[in-house]
Amino acid sequence: MSNSLFIDIGSYQKQKDGEDCFGDTIYSKKIPEERRVISILSDGLGSGVKANILSSMTTRMAMKFMEDNTDLLRSSEIMMDALPICQIRKISYATFSIVDSELEGKTRIFEMDNPRYIFIRNNKSLAIKGREFSSPKWKDRSISVSQMTTQPEDRIILMSDGVTQAGLGNKRYPLGWGRQGCIDFVLSELEKDPHISSQNLAQKIVEEALSKEIDKKAGDDISCVSIYFRTPRKLLVLTGPPFDEDKDKEIADMVAEYDGKIAICGGTTSNIIERELCLKCEVDKSSFDTEIPMASTMEGVDLVTEGILTLTDAYRMLKEGIDRKPNVASVRLVNLLLGSDRIDFVVGTKINVAHQDPSLPMELEIRRNIVKKIFRLLQSQYLKEISVRYL
Amino acid sequence: MEKVKVKICCGTSCFVMGAAQIQVLEFAPPADIADKIEIEEARCMNHCKDTTAKYNRGPFVMVNDELIEEANFEKVVNKIREILNQEK
Ligand code: FES
Repeated sequence: MSNSLFIDIGSYQKQKDGEDCFGDTIYSKKIPEERRVISILSDGLGSGVKANILSSMTTRMAMKFMEDNTDLLRSSEIMMDALPICQIRKISYATFSIVDSELEGKTRIFEMDNPRYIFIRNNKSLAIKGREFSSPKWKDRSISVSQMTTQPEDRIILMSDGVTQAGLGNKRYPLGWGRQGCIDFVLSELEKDPHISSQNLAQKIVEEALSKEIDKKAGDDISCVSIYFRTPRKLLVLTGPPFDEDKDKEIADMVAEYDGKIAICGGTTSNIIERELCLKCEVDKSSFDTEIPMASTMEGVDLVTEGILTLTDAYRMLKEGIDRKPNVASVRLVNLLLGSDRIDFVVGTKINVAHQDPSLPMELEIRRNIVKKIFRLLQSQYLKEISVRYL
Repeated sequence: MEKVKVKICCGTSCFVMGAAQIQVLEFAPPADIADKIEIEEARCMNHCKDTTAKYNRGPFVMVNDELIEEANFEKVVNKIREILNQEK
C-alpha cells in the first residue's frame, strides 16, 4: 500500500440567530478512484432560506464542475450566470471556497470573496500567494487560486465571514474577531492538542466565534471547515478462521508483519495466531460484562475479542452510540475502529457449524454479513478507507 | 489441598447458551468454595462442533477432568462441592 496521506475533514455550523436554516452550505466528497477529496464552503447572500438556496446551488454546481475538471473561470461564469441577481447590489451573490486535494499531496484552493483560508504548517500560519483571475463578464468579482504540496500534519481551515466578523459592534471587537484572531485561537488550540480531530477543531472555532458575539447570538451564519492531513492510522481487523487450513500460516504472517494496530475478533482465530506465532493469550478480567465475552491480551496485538457477538454489538454501537463501560471488548473495538483512518479487514470464511444450531437461544449473524455491515457503515458515515479480503 | 480447576468455555455458542451466568463464580463465588477453586476462561473447546450430538449441549465447563454439558451455575457448584467432599 502506498504511503499517501489521509485527509480528515470536519465541519461545524451555526445559523444566524432567529433563522431556521443555514445560509452557508458545506459539502465534502471523497472520490476514491481518483484519490481525491473536494470540500466546498459557500456563503449565500443574506441569511435563512434565500441564502440557503443560493449557497446550496453554488456548492452543488461547483462540486459538479470540480469533479468534471471543468476550467474554473468558465465554471464560475456559469455559476454566476445561473444564480439569481441581487436587486440592490446587482451581483449574483454567493461566495465560495473550494479545496481540491489529491492524496499524494497536491492541493489547490479556489476562493471567491470568502475570508481567506488559513494554512497551518509546523504550528505557524503560512501565507501562500494566490493568483487572481477575473472574468470579463463579471469584472468586479475575482477568483484567487493557490496551490501547495501538503505534508503530514498540515491543516487548512475555511470559514465564512460569520467567523471573522463575529463580535462586530461589540465593544471589545469593534471590527469583529478577525482572521488573525481566529489564527491565534487555532494555534493556541493546536498547542494544547496537536492531534485534535478536524471535527473538534471546527466546532471549537465556531463556538469561540459565537462567544464573541453580543449576547452570544450569531449575527450572521457562522461556518467552518477544518482539514487535517496526516499519515493514515492503520488498523488490521482479523476475524474468522480461513476456509482452507493451509492459509493459517498466511494470516499469522499478516499479523506479524502489519505496520499498524491489530485487532483479532474470534476465538478460533486467536487460537490460530497463538499457535502459529507462539504467543500467549490471556483473558483480561477487567473487561467482564454479562452480555459480551471478555477480551484477552496478546503480545503485539492491540485487542483480542470473541467474534460474532462482539462484532454485532460493535455494529450496534457504531449506529447508536457507545452505551457500555469503556473496558468492555466491543467498546474497545469501536474505539479502535473510530480512531483509525484506514482499516484492513481480513475475514475468514469458514462457517462455524455450532452457530447454525437451532437450539441456540438467539440468532447469530454470519460473519461475512456482519463484517459487511460494519465496513459499509465505516465508509459511508465515518469516511474511513476500507479494504476487505476474504480467505 | 489442591484447588479444583474450573474451566469455563466462553466461546460464542457457549456464551449465548449461558456461560456468562457461570462466570459469576469468578466474581462472586459461594463462600464455602471461594478459596478452593481456580477459574479459567477458555475459548471454544470444540465440544460445540461435535456433529454426532444432535443439538448443542453447551455451555461446556470442565471441572478438573470432568466435562459438564448443559452447564449452569448450580450444576457446576454442585460438582465442585462433590469433588471437595470426596477429597475430605
Ligand atoms: S463455544 Fe464452547 S465449546 Fe465451542
